[in-house]
Amino acid sequence: MTESDSRRPGRIIRSPQNFVAGLALIAIALFAIWAVSDLSQGSLRIIGPAMMPRWIAIFIGVAGLMFLVGGFIFDGAPLDRWHLRGPFFICTGMILFALTIKTPGFLIAGPLTIILVGYGTTEVRKFELIAFAAGMTAFCIVLFVTILDQPIPVLNIPGTHIRF
Amino acid sequence: MMFDLFQNLGLGLTVAVSLHNLALCFAGCLLGTLVGVLPGIGPIATIAILLPVTFGLEPVSALIMLAGIYYGAQYGSSTTAILLSIPGETSSVVTVLDGHQMARQGRAGVALGIAAIGSFFAGTVSTLVIAALGEPLTRLALVFGPAEYFSLLVMGLIFAVVLARGSIFKAVTMILVGILLSTIGPDLTTGQLRMTFGIPWMADGIEIAVLGMGMFGIAEVFRNLEARTRGDVFHGHIGRLLPSREDLAQSAMPILRGTAVGAALGILPGNGAVLGSFASYTIEKKLAADPSRFGRGAIEGVAGPESANNAGAQTSFIPLLTLGIPPNAVMAIMVGAMTLHGIVPGPTVLTRTPELFWGLVASMWIGNLMLLIINLPLVGLWVKFLRVPYRLMFVGIVIFCCIAVYSINREPGDIIVLTALAVFGYALSKFGFEPAPMTLGFVLGRMMEENLRQALIISQGRFMTFVERPLSACLLAVAAVLLVIAFLPAIKASREKAFVESDK
Repeated sequence: MTESDSRRPGRIIRSPQNFVAGLALIAIALFAIWAVSDLSQGSLRIIGPAMMPRWIAIFIGVAGLMFLVGGFIFDGAPLDRWHLRGPFFICTGMILFALTIKTPGFLIAGPLTIILVGYGTTEVRKFELIAFAAGMTAFCIVLFVTILDQPIPVLNIPGTHIRF
Repeated sequence: MMFDLFQNLGLGLTVAVSLHNLALCFAGCLLGTLVGVLPGIGPIATIAILLPVTFGLEPVSALIMLAGIYYGAQYGSSTTAILLSIPGETSSVVTVLDGHQMARQGRAGVALGIAAIGSFFAGTVSTLVIAALGEPLTRLALVFGPAEYFSLLVMGLIFAVVLARGSIFKAVTMILVGILLSTIGPDLTTGQLRMTFGIPWMADGIEIAVLGMGMFGIAEVFRNLEARTRGDVFHGHIGRLLPSREDLAQSAMPILRGTAVGAALGILPGNGAVLGSFASYTIEKKLAADPSRFGRGAIEGVAGPESANNAGAQTSFIPLLTLGIPPNAVMAIMVGAMTLHGIVPGPTVLTRTPELFWGLVASMWIGNLMLLIINLPLVGLWVKFLRVPYRLMFVGIVIFCCIAVYSINREPGDIIVLTALAVFGYALSKFGFEPAPMTLGFVLGRMMEENLRQALIISQGRFMTFVERPLSACLLAVAAVLLVIAFLPAIKASREKAFVESDK
């Protein structure tokens, strides 16, 4: 979409970006209000746990409404394109890391994550990435576990006595 | 007074020059220069990644290293801005305009040299400013009650909004979202869990380091992956590094003015390092006898902004160390670092642990000296780091973030939080929102809630307490006036113009 496109008169939504941002903010606000609905707001004298989140959420909701309305009135930017390849591979890789770091440990979690994350770009080169995964895993173990003494399980196979 | 100042700096020097601390200061500066050079990663994500590594260190050593990363990055980012027209950090965006032109005219070395000299001068002055303002501001902070603190936080947030880039309204919204995120986790007085949905690893709320890595580490990777600019390689030669007498004469006043502007803006909430460099460039262009030279390799356009960004980076430690209020996102992460080491940011830093305060301040001057020495001869080496292809670099950033997040609490669930925050950060950029005000809101939100609650307990629920107490009323009045001024049409226009300068 070019700029002139979005400024075309006669369009109902003149700033799609602000319009959708407004919707998202209202959704966040409603969600937060619902999430603290079972907590007490207390009084001004003794503020309860729900006071701050609820009122901030209400403000966010109002701001969202203003973006929404503004989206009809003022010309603004069109929606940006989302590129999903990077986020998809990286998020999957990170979730995999979370699932495998305790058992079987970094020796497995590291290379798996690195290779998966590496596919987040179209410029990926298979063999280079595999070599990088091997080198990086060794480097991280030496740096974080051996030198910096971080609490990272290297290898932990249940049912055996293998624990590093 | 003057005597005290130097005595205190002397105390700081004895702390900072221990071999251990010198080594860590050096490591921080080196690492800072590196992340400053690399456009894909900045000081916020780096400091967050390194937090768990500093667990085993003395608090003062940890802070010395982490601080070095921040001001080191100001030196590093100018290098690539000048040589390759790629600013490593936003604070060097304006340096590109004239710095890269100078490089194209074969004066790359002089540009680098004057940037380093200006930065060093600014760093030295800012160290003295911190030392001079430390005690008075601490004394002021000690008389603050919860009501004054609450009003100060409100004023700070409004400053941050007005001095932020882009839409004021969007920045306000982001601060609110940050405050909302900060309320996730246990309520401070009743201990009731809020918005954790019974998930055990959500029970402690969101860790600031995780937020920093998600917003400025991984989300940045997402953004970079969609717009890869081909890695530029510097082919020309750098030339002589030392500026000639004429260059120095031309740069002296811009360096002085840049230092003053940067130091002042650094103390105020908002990103002083970025804003300072923009402001300095605008000033130099206005004052120049022949403004048309700007953009064509005017040395003032490098000397001023580069001094300003380093001054701003350093003086932004002042509100953190004396009032306990982080003025920008980097300092917000530093709050996390201090908290992890059991130090409460604020006036007690100076009263209870003077050796930590002065040690950190003295280390900044030492760090600046190190940067001046290591930077210039190593320029060639830094530029080589840019040849690391991004297709591998981003993988490294992601894996480092994963390891760091896991090491904070040994909790894999935190990595899930990191993933969610990264996606959220990417979404924000798609709608033109900035993550920095959110980070600030996140840290200040917790403080605000605590102080609001205490102030209302003391005043027995009377909201008027905030305007009845004179100091608190003053702070709120300043905040209100500032907000009104920011929305005046004339100011609004010039505020927008000040930032557009570089976007060409």
